Amino acid sequence: MAEKDIKVGIGDMKFARGSNTVITYALGSCIGITFYDPVIKLGGLLHIMLPSRSDPNDPKVFKYADSGIRETVRKLTAFGLVKSRTVVKIAGGAKMFEMKGNSDFGNIGQRNATMVKKVLMEERFRISAEDTGGTYARTMLLNVENGDVVIRTVGKPEKHL
Amino acid sequence: MRLKRYEDMNLQDLDVMKEISSIGTSHAATSLSKLLQKEVRITIPEVNILSYDETVDRMGQMEELVAATLVQMSNEVNGLMLFIFKQDLANAVLGKLMGKQYESFEEMDEMDYSALEEIGNIIICSYVNAFTQLVKVEIDLSVPSSTINMLGGILTVPIAEYGYETDKLMYINAEFIMDGERLSDGLLMLPDIQSLNHILEKLGIS
Repeated sequence: MAEKDIKVGIGDMKFARGSNTVITYALGSCIGITFYDPVIKLGGLLHIMLPSRSDPNDPKVFKYADSGIRETVRKLTAFGLVKSRTVVKIAGGAKMFEMKGNSDFGNIGQRNATMVKKVLMEERFRISAEDTGGTYARTMLLNVENGDVVIRTVGKPEKHL
Repeated sequence: MRLKRYEDMNLQDLDVMKEISSIGTSHAATSLSKLLQKEVRITIPEVNILSYDETVDRMGQMEELVAATLVQMSNEVNGLMLFIFKQDLANAVLGKLMGKQYESFEEMDEMDYSALEEIGNIIICSYVNAFTQLVKVEIDLSVPSSTINMLGGILTVPIAEYGYETDKLMYINAEFIMDGERLSDGLLMLPDIQSLNHILEKLGIS
């Protein structure tokens, strides 16, 4: 059993099939998006940092919500993912610092969330659960065996999305 | 602009930043020393341009609980200053200031948080003051904002703020020495790229 968790870094995506846990640590303003097809037990976790890729030549596709989601879907589809049965969950998009007198600062989390939802809708996915906003970081885990998504935060019990 | 990204800085640029940082951090140590009425020494800082993952690795763990104070810079230099307290430094400071010690940040109360926020602010302000005098630039500082949360989450703030310009952070790492104990100190100075060029131009390196 004791397989090592698969870690997803900032601006990256990893997926697994059958068993294993995919995990991304300490999502601040970033957003974690899990895609899970329960029939073939295929699950991917994408960790995006910014809303949109403005430079089409930027090779870091997973850094941005728009290019990241599309590339993840393309990849997972190639491995057999079927959109209509895919369960999508999102977490993150927090505002870590509240700047007095400058409410615009640090609302990147909110902009990320808006963009993620927009792109998912365009790609015809329904978000079945989300845990976004707030002022704290989240660690997100996807258990590929059963599709369970766990959110870990400081000072609160674990939450199953 | 000569530099397009942080990682374009050459050895000479980094050396100059290190020199200035060393004066900045020693001012910060002096302020801390006055506040705590205790001798505080500081090691010569290292200035490193690191990726997000490298910065987290140098400072601790992703999910490690830390306290952070953030101040925005504006005027001739735009950017962010971030000061991070790990548990050991927080305890040393709160112990001296209020006679309190904690196992974890979670046990602290509002008053401890405000004390840490203010100390972070003082350290940042004295660093920036020394910096402005040396470089001869005007820098305005915002009121501080602070949080206690996962190190990894806190460091996403500067990385996302300048995410369209660079994937790197400028990490100024020195250690405070109090009672013969070395305490880790994490200061991040993050001018935007235009400001970084401006600073280096002002110093005559371009």
